[in-house]
Amino acid sequence: MEFIPIYLIFIPIVAAMIIYLFNNKYVNYIIFVAQTIMTFLAVIYYKVYDGLVVDKMIVLGGWDKRIGIALKSDSLSMSFIFLSIFIWWIVIIYCWDKRKTDFKFLFFLMFLQGTFLGLLQTNDLFNLFIFIEITTIISTILIIYKKDGYSVRAGFYYLLLNSTGMIFYLLGLILIYNISGTLNMEATSHKISLLTDTYPVKMAYIFIMSAIGVKSAFFPVYNWLPKAHGAAPSSISALLSGLLVKSGVYAFIRLNQMFKMESFYHFFFFLGFFTAISGIIFALSQKDIKQILAFHTISQIGIILMGISSIDEKTYVGGLMHIFNHAMFKSLLFMGAGIIINTYGIRRITDIRGVFKKLPYTSIFMIIGMLSITGAPLFNGFVSKTVIKYGVKGSNIKSTMLFIINLGTSISFIKLSQIFFGNSRIKRSRNINGNLAMFLLAVMCIMLGNYFIPITKGFFGVDLSYVKVMDIGNWINYIMTLGIGYIVYKKIIAKDYSIIKKIRHINISFGTTNFLLVMFIFIMILWSRY
Amino acid sequence: MNPILSFIVVLIGIYGLATSKNIIKSIVCLNITQTAVILVFLNFGAFHGSNIPILIDKVIDMTDPLPQALMITAIVIGAAITALALMLSIKIFHYYGTLDWKELIEREG
Repeated sequence: MEFIPIYLIFIPIVAAMIIYLFNNKYVNYIIFVAQTIMTFLAVIYYKVYDGLVVDKMIVLGGWDKRIGIALKSDSLSMSFIFLSIFIWWIVIIYCWDKRKTDFKFLFFLMFLQGTFLGLLQTNDLFNLFIFIEITTIISTILIIYKKDGYSVRAGFYYLLLNSTGMIFYLLGLILIYNISGTLNMEATSHKISLLTDTYPVKMAYIFIMSAIGVKSAFFPVYNWLPKAHGAAPSSISALLSGLLVKSGVYAFIRLNQMFKMESFYHFFFFLGFFTAISGIIFALSQKDIKQILAFHTISQIGIILMGISSIDEKTYVGGLMHIFNHAMFKSLLFMGAGIIINTYGIRRITDIRGVFKKLPYTSIFMIIGMLSITGAPLFNGFVSKTVIKYGVKGSNIKSTMLFIINLGTSISFIKLSQIFFGNSRIKRSRNINGNLAMFLLAVMCIMLGNYFIPITKGFFGVDLSYVKVMDIGNWINYIMTLGIGYIVYKKIIAKDYSIIKKIRHINISFGTTNFLLVMFIFIMILWSRY
Repeated sequence: MNPILSFIVVLIGIYGLATSKNIIKSIVCLNITQTAVILVFLNFGAFHGSNIPILIDKVIDMTDPLPQALMITAIVIGAAITALALMLSIKIFHYYGTLDWKELIEREG
């Protein structure tokens, strides 16, 4: 009972190894056994320790927590564990038809789950580094799984840039280890709070945050993301966009809990705005369906960053909820895009027409996803966006920022929704597994949009009863946003001016990205001085 | 060795990452940076004390063993990343016929 966190890491890894060793299509079904066991273990663990209101830490080998390897579970990590097991279920259901005999794919998929669950539970700075690196390596292999030129290049770019970022993490780790003499996050946090000279701690924070910035795609250093997420197989894109980008965001939350650098919170709020707005600008210029969705992942990461980099409790919970909501609707949209690409064989949204007639179920689920991402009432995106909006109510600038981001998202998805209209002569195809996975995600979108009050009370201990779904003002606001969005789309975006073409062809090279990374560090150093 | 010196090597590696035009050179620069960071870490670890912590009873002035243990792991991860990156660069050459970053962007199609 006590060691369930360790089982959660090792069950998927052991299952992956059994799949690889036996290489038999019946043995591959062990994946479902492993998933079921893990679901039960997580629920049991959550129940036995009463929802983990009090943090629970286990140290392997019975050492003192400053020396040994520690795993920590609290309500935050537990909610992430439930989310990741759920998303893995969905991805396995989605790709089962195609991949059930592909033992290599299943091996990497399950191994990735083990390392991701380890990343969520570790309380040790160096183990965090290791888990992030292993996650990077395995997701590179999954990105290049199609083995065509485009995906190999995207995977290469992803690998090099992320490992360059993690070098800075090691540099920060050196500084922090030199100050505190331990790698345990709790002990380090305690040591830091006693220090009077905070300059080395700030430098360590800056280095570590630049690494986390690369990993979770913050403003100047995100251009690995659209390439990688666009090139991967659809099931992996759903996994990457829905969950694996959040590994950086989760590390951001954990490390901010450790450092408590409140002077940087405003910086990250504005950085979140720039991330969101630049993601939207690029998304508006794109024509490839998967690239649009990938750039929207960046913009949603920006919104999440605006939420979680806040001292205010309300905004923080809004950002945290948006992580979960984004995991649901972005996986849904990527899965829908995968089915459309499989059926049509093309990726340009200007050529895809008549999806609603050919793939009615897929279209309905995708529309649910679009309504969620644009923040329609009754769907889950609305809840977290409203919570963030309530949190920044005092400041006009911040409210305007959120409005602009929401407007941009609406324009972009009006553009994407054009694929549903019209006619096409493509043959109808059946995607029972894909539609089942999308149905489950759509149900979760609606569930989280309507019954969010008990869920947030259970996991985050926050009362959200002030968010009124049926409030007429919110509905008018949403419809107004859509109306303005439609006008902007018809007048500007659909005309495809030359400036939009230019933005579409901007391609930042690897060297420039590294230069931007160094600039990012310098800007943070300047911010820490003033 | 002074940690400042090894930090200078880190900066050289980052300069190489930002300026190199060839993919293989980028991988080599990544390696240089990784190795230099490991050197910095080992130097910091050797700041306090100089004797080995095992083999002798009652060691006085012993050095901290943890950085070395950590860096072994970091070296292993660095080797894995280098191997994967080199494999991918072979694949890229196979598909695009070039290892130049600029030409690669031009041949995107």
